[in-house]
Amino acid sequence: MKKNLLSLLALALLAAGCDKIDPDEYIVYDGAVITWRQGSAIANPQQRAYVEKFTGPQCHNCPDADVTLDEAHSLYGDKLVLVSINHYKGMGTPFPGEPDMRTDGGTVWDHFYGVNGIPAAFINREKDHTYGSAMPAIKTDIGTVVAQTPSVAMEVDATADATGSNVTVHVNLDFLTTIEEALTVTVALVEDSLRYKQLMPDGSVVNDYAHNHMLRKVITGFWGRDVEADAVAGTQTSGTLTFALPADCQKANCHIVAFLSRKASRHVINSASCTLQ
Amino acid sequence: MIRKHTILLAFLAAAAIGQAQGILGGHVTGNIAVDGQMSSADATIGAEDVPEKLLLNSRADVFYSNGGFSAGLRFEMYQNPLLGFDSDWKQGQGLANYFVAYSTEKLSVTAGNFYEQFGSGMILRSYEDRYLGIDNSLFGLNVQYRPVAGITVKALAGRQRLYWDYVESLVRGVDAEVNLNSILTPLQESPLHITVGAGFVSKYEDDESIIASANPEYRLNLPLNVGAAAFRLDMGYGHWGLQAEYARKGQDPSVMNNYIFREGEALTLNLTYSQRGFSTNLQCKHVDNMAFKSLRSREGQMAYINYIPAINKQHTYALLSMYPYATQTVGENGLQADVIYKIKKNTLLGGKYGTDLHLNTSVITSLHTDSLGGRGTEGYHIDWFDNGGIYYGDLSVEVAKKLSPTLKLVATYAYQVFNPVVEEPATTDGLHHNNIVVADLTWKVHKGHSLRFEAEWLGSDSRYDDVNDPRAGDWIMGLVEWNIGSHWFLSASDQYPYNDGSGNYYNVAVGYTHDATRLQIAFGKQRRGMLCIGGVCREVPASNGLTFSLTTNF
Repeated sequence: MKKNLLSLLALALLAAGCDKIDPDEYIVYDGAVITWRQGSAIANPQQRAYVEKFTGPQCHNCPDADVTLDEAHSLYGDKLVLVSINHYKGMGTPFPGEPDMRTDGGTVWDHFYGVNGIPAAFINREKDHTYGSAMPAIKTDIGTVVAQTPSVAMEVDATADATGSNVTVHVNLDFLTTIEEALTVTVALVEDSLRYKQLMPDGSVVNDYAHNHMLRKVITGFWGRDVEADAVAGTQTSGTLTFALPADCQKANCHIVAFLSRKASRHVINSASCTLQ
Repeated sequence: MIRKHTILLAFLAAAAIGQAQGILGGHVTGNIAVDGQMSSADATIGAEDVPEKLLLNSRADVFYSNGGFSAGLRFEMYQNPLLGFDSDWKQGQGLANYFVAYSTEKLSVTAGNFYEQFGSGMILRSYEDRYLGIDNSLFGLNVQYRPVAGITVKALAGRQRLYWDYVESLVRGVDAEVNLNSILTPLQESPLHITVGAGFVSKYEDDESIIASANPEYRLNLPLNVGAAAFRLDMGYGHWGLQAEYARKGQDPSVMNNYIFREGEALTLNLTYSQRGFSTNLQCKHVDNMAFKSLRSREGQMAYINYIPAINKQHTYALLSMYPYATQTVGENGLQADVIYKIKKNTLLGGKYGTDLHLNTSVITSLHTDSLGGRGTEGYHIDWFDNGGIYYGDLSVEVAKKLSPTLKLVATYAYQVFNPVVEEPATTDGLHHNNIVVADLTWKVHKGHSLRFEAEWLGSDSRYDDVNDPRAGDWIMGLVEWNIGSHWFLSASDQYPYNDGSGNYYNVAVGYTHDATRLQIAFGKQRRGMLCIGGVCREVPASNGLTFSLTTNF
């Protein structure tokens, strides 16, 4: 009996004496606060596909992935919400003297998937479907996703103040079905037409390659803000947040991306994007 | 702290009144040590003036024991600390350490300050070294229980001493060691001796805001409880011995590892063979991210909970130890081979009195790493089967031979490779390759009187640099030491960077020993360098003037 007690005590000490942090939680960002109020109904609800693509300036296959996703954009328009993230190591690192477009939020999301090679892409944060060397297949799967009936309709708009430095974002959610689990909304800033070196499939380097949909900042915490409303069919809620536009971002090239996720699994239910007004 | 001391003294006084008979029957022991230094500016060696004129490090330990009961306290005073000691020591003086303890055959309990070590110290070693200015004693409770012969279980909890205060972090640990020969009947008469042990240490430290990147909005999600476990084996069979210990540490982002979340691990192996006239041992070590501190953001040598053993030879001659190796707790691989052989007397090589040979070689390298990112990431991968760049290499041959009834010669040749990046701050770039020759001749003039002559030479491919590294370059050194009877000694020495340096580092010293009391006074110049004990180092700044040391035991 005494031995058992001692063993239990030792096990308790072992268990309590060491915290384990998951890789996707190494970095925390409290982020901008979202204020929730009554939302409005959304006409013509759409199911969008949220795609996170991991890329890198020293990845010679990544320009081909860009071509594939550009084609997807042509096919599906704003039903495809795309965020490009420079991989946190290896081919994701910048050429010497070049701007480093890796972000802390991107690194945290990178760890969430456990990305090992790039290019890699994921639809709606479904880890089971990685599009790497078989990137062209993503076009078909995006089509399948956007053809579905949405359970939540989603809109986002963003307005900069007169100085252009402060941006207010409104996210409107219209619950078409009841979802009985905790939900979060994540808002991120992406930028088009960032020009820096890119390794090409033929081994050459293009000095002013246009990098589009690049993640610049996760405005909410990396895993978003809780939706403070019951996700009951027929209800609407609207969230508002304000953030300062980073000085090195060109307002005209910026977009806001917002997506609604299941808090536990982080799977994305729906998403939306908009330009800055 | 002072109020606590008052309480302790009151407690001791009460105990004395209550058990006067017992106190009178007990034993009081102790020791006193006073180290002093006076130094004035000397531009040629980079010595700076000491505004206080006199610096003093002093301490006195008093221990009382009576049967199973014991108590002790230590008075410390740094007015002001000697050159090279951390200036934080001058924040106070007084009763720095104190404890009460009670021990029976099966149980030992210590309350107050205590020193403890699990295994070789890779997960816990609280110790003090007055020459390094380190005291990381734990203030708390330490219990040792020996239920049967051959089994020892330790449990402790406390806060670590940091200069004149205690850190807020908690340190908790358990350790068990079992001598299998004592508890397993089949092994009791066996020539195979086996002892196994395991320990676990956990640190709790409050959260703090550590910025994850250039963007101050991002911070690290720090683990508040960091655990480390170790398993060890000690085997002996006939002339052979094997000691092995493996330690693993949980995620511990700290200033030492640039706040990465990689877990740490360390492995040491030591294989020995020993017989009359011959002994050898082969050691290897792998250390990866094992800096374990009670304060995650504390740089330097303070606040370490653990200790990584050094496996390179600890030289004592001045030029041999000019480039001591500082253990790299963040990561290193090491190998050491050591052979001691006595050539019998009345043989061709042994001569009339025999000859002692001591060969030693060690090499320590960095880890071969593949970066995964900086702060707030896993940090890196390592390749177990490859090494990074060299940190330190040492090959030495020592021959000790009695030439006549009155003459004994010790001659040493060493080749050392040293990488300055192991020092903090790193001195210069590039490896130093040094050849060193030492001749040490002792002449017993007559009974009780001896003369010792020491000549040393160091040839280096490095160039003397009085700004960044005044050790670099080529050196010669001579020393004469006269031991007069059993009480007095006189010595004079000089180190000189003869090829491209400046300044003579001369030193004259006189010492007197009587019973357990020793007084030594020296005058001269001290070259800037590093003092390392067991791989733990502190910087020794240049100085010019008088030093004295008084120690006594009672």
